[in-house]
Amino acid sequence: MSLQTESQSQEPLDLIRFQLDETVLVKLRGAREMKGKLQGYDSHCNMVISEAEEYIYEVNGNSEPVVKKTEMVFVRGDSVILISPIN
Amino acid sequence: MSSFHPINPKPFLKTLINKQVVVRLKWNKTEYRGILVSIDNYMNLQLEQTTEISEGVEEEIGEIFIRCNNVLFVRDAIVKKGDAEENGDNNGVDKEVAMNE
Repeated sequence: MSLQTESQSQEPLDLIRFQLDETVLVKLRGAREMKGKLQGYDSHCNMVISEAEEYIYEVNGNSEPVVKKTEMVFVRGDSVILISPIN
Repeated sequence: MSSFHPINPKPFLKTLINKQVVVRLKWNKTEYRGILVSIDNYMNLQLEQTTEISEGVEEEIGEIFIRCNNVLFVRDAIVKKGDAEENGDNNGVDKEVAMNE
């Protein structure tokens, strides 16, 4: 069982660091997603997102999500499930 | 004098780096299949070439960061011979790693 120390030069939060000033999709608890430009973050995944669009999905249904737009928003890290870059 | 060598959680996870893994979330059986890129001390995960599998629907989502608190388990995605590919519910149970914070 070898420890791959060399490939551990990168850590997961680096993926987020490379997305600063880029558009990200953040999946949140409670069937919500937040899309916007990542202005800042910390190790708890607290984030500041500008030009944000929040998508609120119906719990069980395929109807269109409710969209809420915010100029600048703080997202508390504990509700974050995943963060993904958008091309 | 013992032949038992413990495999601790973190070294085990490190052996999965650069391999295809399945990450099951604690919430409504969502799974992510992808190549494990890196982990950190919290056991946050970074995956690439990821497919999200939720309620039987698969979706390509590429590169993702998964916050550690959402993870139920991480396992090697290579299916053992004789096991069906569909529905990872029962296979690979012996390789599961619980990642409670």
